[in-house]
This record gives sequence, C-alpha cells and structure tokens, in this order.
Amino acid sequence: MRYVHLYFTCIKRSMISRLEYKKDTIVALFSFFFSNLCSLAAIYFILQSIPALAGYSLAEVGFFYGFSMLPISLDHLFSDEFWLVAYRRVQNGDMDMHFLRPVPVMFQVFAETFQPEGFGEMILGVALIIVCASNLTVTVSFGSIAVLTVGAVFGAVIITSFKVALSALAFIFKRSGPLLQIIYNFSNYAKYPLAIYPAVIRMLLIFVLPFGLFISLPVDTLLHGTHDPWLLCLAIILCAAVFFALAVRIWTFCERRYESTGS
Amino acid sequence: MLKKYKPFLRAGAMDTMAYRFNILVWAVITVCQVACLVFLWLAVYRSSEGGIDAVIHGFTYREMISYVVLTTVFGFVTFNNDTLWNINTDIKKGTIGNYLIKPISYRGKFAATSLGSLLMMTLMFGVPLYTAALAVLGSLGFLPDLTFPAFFAHLALFLLSGLCASLLNDTIAYIFGVLCFYTSSGWGLNSLKETLVAFLSGTLLPLAFFPAGLREAVSIMPFAGMSQNPILILMMKYDLAESLRAVALTAAWIVALELFAKLLFSHAIRKVTVQGG
Repeated sequence: MRYVHLYFTCIKRSMISRLEYKKDTIVALFSFFFSNLCSLAAIYFILQSIPALAGYSLAEVGFFYGFSMLPISLDHLFSDEFWLVAYRRVQNGDMDMHFLRPVPVMFQVFAETFQPEGFGEMILGVALIIVCASNLTVTVSFGSIAVLTVGAVFGAVIITSFKVALSALAFIFKRSGPLLQIIYNFSNYAKYPLAIYPAVIRMLLIFVLPFGLFISLPVDTLLHGTHDPWLLCLAIILCAAVFFALAVRIWTFCERRYESTGS
Repeated sequence: MLKKYKPFLRAGAMDTMAYRFNILVWAVITVCQVACLVFLWLAVYRSSEGGIDAVIHGFTYREMISYVVLTTVFGFVTFNNDTLWNINTDIKKGTIGNYLIKPISYRGKFAATSLGSLLMMTLMFGVPLYTAALAVLGSLGFLPDLTFPAFFAHLALFLLSGLCASLLNDTIAYIFGVLCFYTSSGWGLNSLKETLVAFLSGTLLPLAFFPAGLREAVSIMPFAGMSQNPILILMMKYDLAESLRAVALTAAWIVALELFAKLLFSHAIRKVTVQGG
C-alpha cells in the first residue's frame, strides 16, 4: 500500500517536469501518429499491387500491425526509464541516488517515469484493430478474446522483462543500451504474419525472442483458428512468468555488483 | 575565406572515428532490419500474380532487394550529421551565445562538420561497403550487367548526387534545428524530420509504389534526391539524361532551402531564450 502511494507521488512529480516542454510534446505526439501513418501507408501501397500477402488480406495484415502495438504500448507506459538506465544513467553516475534510498532500486526506476505517449500508441492500435476487424469476417469466440487479452498484457510483461534484465547489465558493463536496442527491435518482425519468414526465424520468434508467441500466434488463432486458444494462453503466461522471474534474478545479481562511476 | 572552417571539417572526421563501437551496433541492428525487409519483399513477390519473377512497378524482386540493401548503405554513409542535436544543445546550454559573437557563420560551421563526417564515412565505410554490396549483388545476378564506360558515368553521377543528398540532408536538419528555437526541445522535431525524410525520399518504399497523384507531387519535392534518386542512378535504372535532371533538381532545392534557412534563422534568433543548462 505504501508503495502504491509512493508510486503515484513519484509519477505526479515526473508529469509536472514534463510539462516544461509542452510544445515539444505536441510535436512529438504529432510525429508519432505521422510516423505510424507512413508505415501503414507503405504497407497499404505494397499490398495494393498484390492480391494477398502469403495468404493474408490487407485487413488481416493491418490487424497484425494494430495488435502488435498493444503489448508494446503497455510496456511503453510503465518502463521507459529503463532505456535511460541502459544508455546513460549508470555511465554518468546518475544512479547513485537510488542506492541511498530505503526503497528497492527497481521500484524507483519504474516510478521515475510514466509515459503518456503510450496511450497514443494504444489508441492507434485499437483504432486500427477496429477498422481492420470491420472489414473481416471473423468468428469471435470467448477463447480468442481471452488469448488476445493475455497476449497483450503478458506480452507487455515479457517486453518489460527484457528491458529489466538487459538494462541491469549496465550495472556491470556501465552501458547496455545498444544490446537492449538490438533485442527490442526484433518486435518489428512481429508486425507481420510469421508466415512470411523462413522456418528458422519463425522458431526464433516463438521460442527465443517470443514476440511471435504473444503477437502473431494469438492473431492467427483469432483469424484462422490455428491454435487452441487456452493452450496458447497457458504458454504465454508461463513464458511471461519465466522471463519475469529471470529478469528479477538478473537485476538483483547485477545490482549487487554495482559500482558508482563516481562522475 | 573557407580556411577558417577547416578545424570543423577535421572535428567532424575525428568524431566519426571515435564512435566505431556505435557503428558496430548499428551494423547488427541494420542487418536484422534489412533481413526483415528482404523476407517481406520475397513474400510480396511470391504472393504476386506473376509469381516470384513478376515485375512490380518496374522492379523485379532482385532489383528490389538490391534497392533495399543499397539505400541502407547509402543512408548510413550519407546521413550522419548531428546538426539538429547540436543546435538543440546550443540552445539548451546557452552555448549558442558563443557562436553568435565569433566571426564565423553558424550555418557554415555545421555544413563543414557534416562534410568532414561525409568524407570520413565514405573513405572508411562507403568504399568497402559499396564495393562489397555491388560485388555480392552483382555476382548473384541481382544487378544489370555492368557495361564499363557507362557504369563509370553512373558512378560519377552517383557520387555527385550523394554529395548533394548529404548537403540537402544537412540543410533540412539545420532548418529543423532552428525550429527548436520555437519549441525549446528537439525530440519531437527530430522524429518528425526522420519520418518525413524516410517516407518521402523513398527509403521506406520506392516512390513508384505510391499512387499516381502523390507520386507526381513527391517527385518535384526535394526528398527523392536524398535517397531514391542516387540509388536508381547507381543501379542504372535512370539513364544519363534522367540522372542529370535529378541531380540538377536536388542542387536547385539546396539553394532554395538555404535561402529559406537564412530567413528563418534571422527570425528565430530574435526569439532566442537561453535556458542556461
């Protein structure tokens, strides 16, 4: 309970400091929508010239793109500060203050920022899903709704786990941002159906960097009933539990080896 | 006259040398991205009515993959200035004052720095990467047969258009940098610029795929000269006359946008609020 109160206090403070650059936030929001619009336009122009992409219609491909934005935006809302830890904050000695406070360091990092931009992403994703779904004839079942919800929520947990584990490496190596960036960018692969990739990449995206497991497979299950929704739910939740437990272990391990850069 | 800009030229080149590790990381990220695009295009061509050997909007799948690889190398070698961020920092830290009292032009400083960076990148990475890309793509039969005298003409025009693209990119970065005077922070403006350029320059997708009206509008804008045109010149998809026309258009845009940047700067400088760090 104390932590809930503490979290909201910290978040309020971070929002106030953000208001300093109001104009820039507006430009950033606009450019975010514009950039997604451009990517979608590119996909639209490509699909105009072919009947379907590996058997998926335009609306189906759009559905994948829209759904991929949900777990990504959920993660974006809560854990943006980990990018700074990985890229700069250990290196420039900015983390020291967190080690002097009687609250777990990981909690403090989560409480450092709340990114309202994530809502923009989420709204756009939902809008795209609605537009695409209205052009599709899908039989919506309880199971497929469940698997999409689980995919979005626990998918976000998996993405956050990657961020926690890889940014923790900065405690030892001072800077781990580039590595995090490399892994994170694989989420772009899950914006398209897995069917367009060769088998090796498909396996990689399901078993190693499981962006395909919680984005592509749930959508496939909704559109074509390729998997048992409940089994898939179970797999995603298990995977999220394993990744999160591992991430916490790695974080505590690295935290104990933290040495201030003293700068 | 130009001699006083030489230290900046050298600083741009030295900075580029110092960031070799970042460049390695960039390479890994890029290989993953290019691979994703290659899979996407292969799936597109396989799904097309004519099958894998179809010609879509004037491109075979071989040409499309070459296009993706070459635009990526081109972007890496050509677009490496920090002009927007440096202006943003100068505004935030108040160091802009230091430049306003020095007897050099603020604009000239950035142009020289990014030119230095372009030279270093071209020598260090451009030469090996273009050679490797052309050799691999050529030996896979992805590029047209290189008939030699003609190829050299195209190569020369490609280098010229690459120089123009780099200058134009710096001009646009400078304009967006000066706009930071109005917004006080560069994040939003930078991502707006990157998106605008990636989409309209044909980096994301060749302009031939755009619907007719949009395509014609974009083809007279400056952006195609920043990525698509140089690559199509190198791939010999443009004949010499078309190539020359494309380079001339880009050069004209550089002049026009530099004039605009000058006007904008003289307006913005009256707005300057130094935040003092």
